[in-house]
Amino acid sequence: MTDLDDSAAIATAGLGRRFGTKWAVQDLALAIRPGELYGFLGQNGAGKTTTIRMLAGLLRPTTGTLRVAGIAGDTRGSERQRKQVVGLVPDTPPLYDYLTGRQYVALVASLWHVARQDRDARSERLFELLGLTDAADELCKGYSHGMRKKVHIAAVLATAPQVLLLDEPTTGLDPLSTRRFKDLLLEEGQKGTTILLSTHVLDVAAEVCDRIGILAAGTLRCEGTPAELQERFGVDSFEDVFLRATDEE
Amino acid sequence: MSLLAADLRALANLPRAPLGRRLLLHVGIGLGLLALLSWWIAQNVVTSPEVAAMLRRHGGDRSILGLLGMGLLPCPVAATWLGLSLAQRQLFETPELPLWQSAPMPQWRGTIQILLRATFLAVVWSLALSGPFVLTLLQHERAPWHAYALLPLAVATATVPLIAILLVVQIALVRLFASRALRLVLTTLGAAASVGFSTWLLMILFSGSEGGSRFVARAASADSLPWTVDAGAHLLASTLTDQFNFAALQSCFAWLLLATAVFWFGARLHPKAIEAHRLAEPTLRRRRRDWPVGIAATIRKKELAQVLQQPGALIGFLIFAFLVFALVNRQVLVGGILADHRLPLEVRQLSAMLAQWFLATMLVLYPHMGRLVQWEAPQWPLWVTAPASHAAILRGKLEAVGLLLLWPLLLVATVSGHALGASPRTLSLFLIVTAGGTIVALGVLAFVGTLPLLVRPDDSGTIAQGGRGFFASLVLILGFQLGVAPAGFAWIWLSIWARENHVSTELAHDWTGAVLAAGAGWAVLVFAVGFGLAVRNYGKLAAPR
Repeated sequence: MTDLDDSAAIATAGLGRRFGTKWAVQDLALAIRPGELYGFLGQNGAGKTTTIRMLAGLLRPTTGTLRVAGIAGDTRGSERQRKQVVGLVPDTPPLYDYLTGRQYVALVASLWHVARQDRDARSERLFELLGLTDAADELCKGYSHGMRKKVHIAAVLATAPQVLLLDEPTTGLDPLSTRRFKDLLLEEGQKGTTILLSTHVLDVAAEVCDRIGILAAGTLRCEGTPAELQERFGVDSFEDVFLRATDEE
Repeated sequence: MSLLAADLRALANLPRAPLGRRLLLHVGIGLGLLALLSWWIAQNVVTSPEVAAMLRRHGGDRSILGLLGMGLLPCPVAATWLGLSLAQRQLFETPELPLWQSAPMPQWRGTIQILLRATFLAVVWSLALSGPFVLTLLQHERAPWHAYALLPLAVATATVPLIAILLVVQIALVRLFASRALRLVLTTLGAAASVGFSTWLLMILFSGSEGGSRFVARAASADSLPWTVDAGAHLLASTLTDQFNFAALQSCFAWLLLATAVFWFGARLHPKAIEAHRLAEPTLRRRRRDWPVGIAATIRKKELAQVLQQPGALIGFLIFAFLVFALVNRQVLVGGILADHRLPLEVRQLSAMLAQWFLATMLVLYPHMGRLVQWEAPQWPLWVTAPASHAAILRGKLEAVGLLLLWPLLLVATVSGHALGASPRTLSLFLIVTAGGTIVALGVLAFVGTLPLLVRPDDSGTIAQGGRGFFASLVLILGFQLGVAPAGFAWIWLSIWARENHVSTELAHDWTGAVLAAGAGWAVLVFAVGFGLAVRNYGKLAAPR
């Protein structure tokens, strides 16, 4: 078994997941430092969501090991301890149509054992930052896709996770919300939150991420800072980096 | 690929996926059981000497026409149910609407597709419910081969025009009067149609041979048939005579053509109706209320908020109240108990009320079970990633379900207590016994509602909705019956013993406390075991796949 990096907030070694005969992720080794904002890029079906689901404890790896916030993934007793420090924003926000945005945040905060004062203070601030204050008391059923995303992001951030796993968080967000969301990510990173950001928006990744990993066909093709990757592939645009790394050019 | 081909392809693809296979299997079993019920009723009808005598009295031809008409009656019933509930949701909320609207095809094309889907489902249900009954009648009357060949046409004539008209009326109403009030009215109608259909099936199931005779008497002596089945019944009846009635065949085709024409014009209103429907979207602002922090309390509040903030759910509760009223009013299942004058009045009333509570609770138990895991399918990632204890999550959900289960209990206590003139003592005893029964129901519901065999997540860990619903409801009902069976048997045994030994009221009063305590002990035991197993099950469901 390959050793995991002890200093990393998210560490995987030889991580793999097979569905039937198809490997979605193979031999993945990641070491993401505490407070680092790590971009996870790849085409559709590259294995990004599968990796995130394994890190969040939704999927069991077929091979390899992982550790999140110092807690090993295969330790049964510490499962809840690990969940307590991880926040997941999936591609489709799991909102309740017939709860209001505020009620939904209260529900999530309660599940993550957040004290009432902390919950109220954080959620008010997040609602304001994400432009949700006016809609917070409306039913989620009436929200647009972008609004639903923002409400779930607010709910997850209200739990103050040590590790934040984001799967396509900017899909459906308007430019202003995307701007505010990027600022929020940088702020969270400065506070020490480790963030794994899976996205198809290359500009966002290049702008906010400390390091970027590019995944293709379930394997990590390359990783480094945006500048390092551009230098390695000898191109100016990040789009070219992505295309070369995924063998599309 | 055309829309029709896409739907057919999707249907053909069902067996390729495990969920699709399960869906087909369970729908097939459900429809098969209904077909068996239809065949069983028909067998009773054609072999009953009373029916033969009745047919002779009323004149053979007229009675056969009446029986065929009654045999086809499930077609308009299924059409009304699907036209008002499923098709209504399809008209305004089907996920394919944005695709259809943005596609370069006539705007009414999607509407036609909705009619085709609704018609397909209605015809499948109608064939299961009507087919065996009508086939048995035709076989009994030694009908020629073309009678069997014309059965699908008769079923279609009794189904398609009604569905088409229902859809067009709903489209036109929304196009002209779209408002929140109309949405509420349509939602109510949809819910009423669903409950009405289930009630109708229940009535058939519980009416037994006595009900069957009444049914035949009504059919044989009917002066005229409902318009929805008239043409089809005449068509089939004419095949039994020496001369085939071409007018009946023409009538069937005329109905189908009329339905097509009406729908053709109505479908053109659909795009504007969708627009009007969306503009009437409710955007109620809610009052801000503080929420608790404890996990169980929050979940209990979340479950209740979902009921209170969902108009359809509240309407469902009201419709259920009417259903209970009807059950109590018609004394379904309890006529025999109330008529047994060898038992003291108090015992008869209590037995009747308990039987009614049992039936009413059984009707709502399955929908409430979904609150534990099944209905959380879209939110399952939240529950799996939450660091909350599984016991606390389940406790919160069961507390909410427990509160919701008080509704049938209070309804029966109020309606039946009033109808039977029950004394305060009888009512108190009823409330105590049913409180214990509700605890048993919660224990069974916790266990069955989390059983990985019934709500197993798929390979990616997502809870798959549907597919196992039929089995889950059977297991739940069986579990509930087993849970209350010891109390039920003890009650029957005590009643017989009291009857045979002429037990005095004083002695019965003396022993009441001990009997209730034993019942309460049993209820707590069932709940404790069910809850313990449920916590273990939930852990299995939430574990990474």
